[in-house]
Amino acid sequence: MKRKRQWAPYILILPSVIYLAIFFAWPMVQALKLAIWDSDGLLTLRADASQESSIAARIPQGTAVEILGQQGNLVAEDQLGQANIITERWFNISGTGADGSPIQGWATESRIRVREETSAGTPTRGTVRRKLAANVDPLTNIYTEPNVKSQIVGKLEPNATVSINQTTILEVWYQLSSTQNGKSVEGWAPSRFIQVFGDEPRGRVERGNAGLFTTEFITKMVNDRFFLPALETTLLLMVIIIPVQFVLAIVMALVIQARLRGHSLLLYIFAIPLGVSDLAVGIVWFSIFTQSGFLNSILINLGLISTPLTFLSAETRQWIIVAIFLAEVWRATSIVMIIIVSGLQAIPQEVLEAAELFGANLWQRIRHVILPLLKPSLQVALILRTILALQVFAVVIALSGGDVVTVLANETYRQYYDFRNPNVAASYAGLILLLSMVSAIIYLRLVRTQEEATS
Amino acid sequence: MTTAIEVPQVVQASPEVKALHRKMLARQRRGRLVTYAVGILIALWILIPIFFIGSMAFTTPAEVRTFPKSVLPFIPFSLDTMRFFLNSEGILSGVINSVVVAVITLLLSTLIAAPAGYALSRYIFPGRNFYRLSILAVRAFPIVILAIPLAVVFLNIGFYDSVYSLALMHTALTLPTTVLVVGSVFASIPYELEEAAMVFGCTPMKAFRYVVLPLVLPGIAAAAIFTFVMSWNEVFAASVLTIQNRTLPAQVLYALSQSSEPYQFAGGFFMLVPALIFIFLIRRYLFNMWGQVSK
Repeated sequence: MKRKRQWAPYILILPSVIYLAIFFAWPMVQALKLAIWDSDGLLTLRADASQESSIAARIPQGTAVEILGQQGNLVAEDQLGQANIITERWFNISGTGADGSPIQGWATESRIRVREETSAGTPTRGTVRRKLAANVDPLTNIYTEPNVKSQIVGKLEPNATVSINQTTILEVWYQLSSTQNGKSVEGWAPSRFIQVFGDEPRGRVERGNAGLFTTEFITKMVNDRFFLPALETTLLLMVIIIPVQFVLAIVMALVIQARLRGHSLLLYIFAIPLGVSDLAVGIVWFSIFTQSGFLNSILINLGLISTPLTFLSAETRQWIIVAIFLAEVWRATSIVMIIIVSGLQAIPQEVLEAAELFGANLWQRIRHVILPLLKPSLQVALILRTILALQVFAVVIALSGGDVVTVLANETYRQYYDFRNPNVAASYAGLILLLSMVSAIIYLRLVRTQEEATS
Repeated sequence: MTTAIEVPQVVQASPEVKALHRKMLARQRRGRLVTYAVGILIALWILIPIFFIGSMAFTTPAEVRTFPKSVLPFIPFSLDTMRFFLNSEGILSGVINSVVVAVITLLLSTLIAAPAGYALSRYIFPGRNFYRLSILAVRAFPIVILAIPLAVVFLNIGFYDSVYSLALMHTALTLPTTVLVVGSVFASIPYELEEAAMVFGCTPMKAFRYVVLPLVLPGIAAAAIFTFVMSWNEVFAASVLTIQNRTLPAQVLYALSQSSEPYQFAGGFFMLVPALIFIFLIRRYLFNMWGQVSK
């Protein structure tokens, strides 16, 4: 019985572990990979025009290449939509050969003119095109496979009528040559990765199919014109919001913990912001600070000003910061209060009574009894709040439009959504992760060293 | 009998003690007044902004646009602003999407978290602390980092822009909180109750079904409601993961810069209403969110 029970907790937590591994740990690793790994930074050149042949060389994205030849190759149907892809059609035809015998085999689209097709557009009959160039074999070759390198089954005369049995679409592969580190390399690659310039046999590697470690995205992030303002504002908001929040939250917690009549109503009111989305809070404070908002209305009604003041504009950056500050204090103090009240409830009532009996006033009780006993709760709250403060997003957009004052989360969103650059967005996400972890470790260490010092 | 009466008389007779007693009572009364004053001030700080935006949401759009705004509320009272907002493009479908995402999140999250919460509160097993600390760490980690790679992955596998992909993501976000809340709810039910039921002949399953479940159901409902609110409010991942099937916050955020004030204010208030209701419903369980954490 006992042995059996030991397995129970593991089975019970298993679903959550699996879920978090798939939808939390794995994406986290993916985010870091996106930030430093250019998944199509290198193009693999093959020895032959086939995915199975050996690797001849790898050349980086952007390399200039010379196109030496081309050949069709089978391609999965769902990949036909890819950018830059160049395809050729081959027909499986049957007809009478130049020597009078019936033949069946493959010919490229460029050699067959389609004369009849079904209502669905499938070609059924065609004729062989006449070759216009002089000094070439006027007959058209028919192959065993849709590939000019395969065996020739027979030849057809120009204008011969053929029936088309089957159509297949092939992707063109280029035979490329380029110089790399002074050495010339050669190999085959699918057309979808190559951008061809005009008719000349030249092109460049537009994207690759193999990964490459790169600092390109991080460099791009750091050099972005919004990077430094975003980082500065995020840290500034953190520094000014968190202390005020903690003082306010402790006051709120003490009010609740005084257990006066009506404290449950007060608790409900204090906890309301806990359930309000940051976007709604942003809009609420926007309605107060906007030019025709409540603050100006009140000031005018009181006769303090005659024309409305502008708070939320590019010239009044400091007022936007103030508005964000108030909105965030309004929104996120509740969670700190909840944690602190939980901590206060764990403090034995006798300790507080003893302190009061010995004549400690409120400040002395807070300073010497409550705060030291609250330390673990404060630590949890501090870590949580700091990490949440690094993610301020919708409040900032609602109050500043996201341009005048910007924060890291907003830049992540901008890079992903407006600039369509998930790699740089992932760099921002990685930076937020790094800052979160660093601050968490600092808090944990700070508290531990204090404890060691006192003991 | 007589001595019992005499003793308090002796105590009361001392004028110093009487004065001290009066002083302490006065101090207590003063302390209570100060506490009330501070509490009411903070309550006003929280309620007044809600009151402002609520009064704008329930008046005519013309009144919303006037300046200076009257500080008197709800005059004239009208549902036009709210109606205008709800009839705006994408709002109704946004509300439906939000509810669908939140309900799927709630179901998934509760189903996966409830057994884990039970295990945390009922068993002591090797790795329990590690598991709980990991859950706490996940609880604190930023959603921003998850949304970007998941969006890329969902895009690659053709699962992008769907309410289901967003619900999967929201479940990852809410799961740790739900595990902790459910765990503390189970922990508040003494194991002895379960044991007693088994002593009286219940199988463990029956004991759970007839004794524990009825007691924890309200707490689990509170956890589920909290999950719903978290998903309903979430805006970053919703904006990143959806384009056509935007949820309500994503749609409002998208339209915010081009929209009029009646739209913004009504939208702000509309998103705020569930908080007012749901926090009221779960107010008894607010502390469960953190009660078990530091133990």
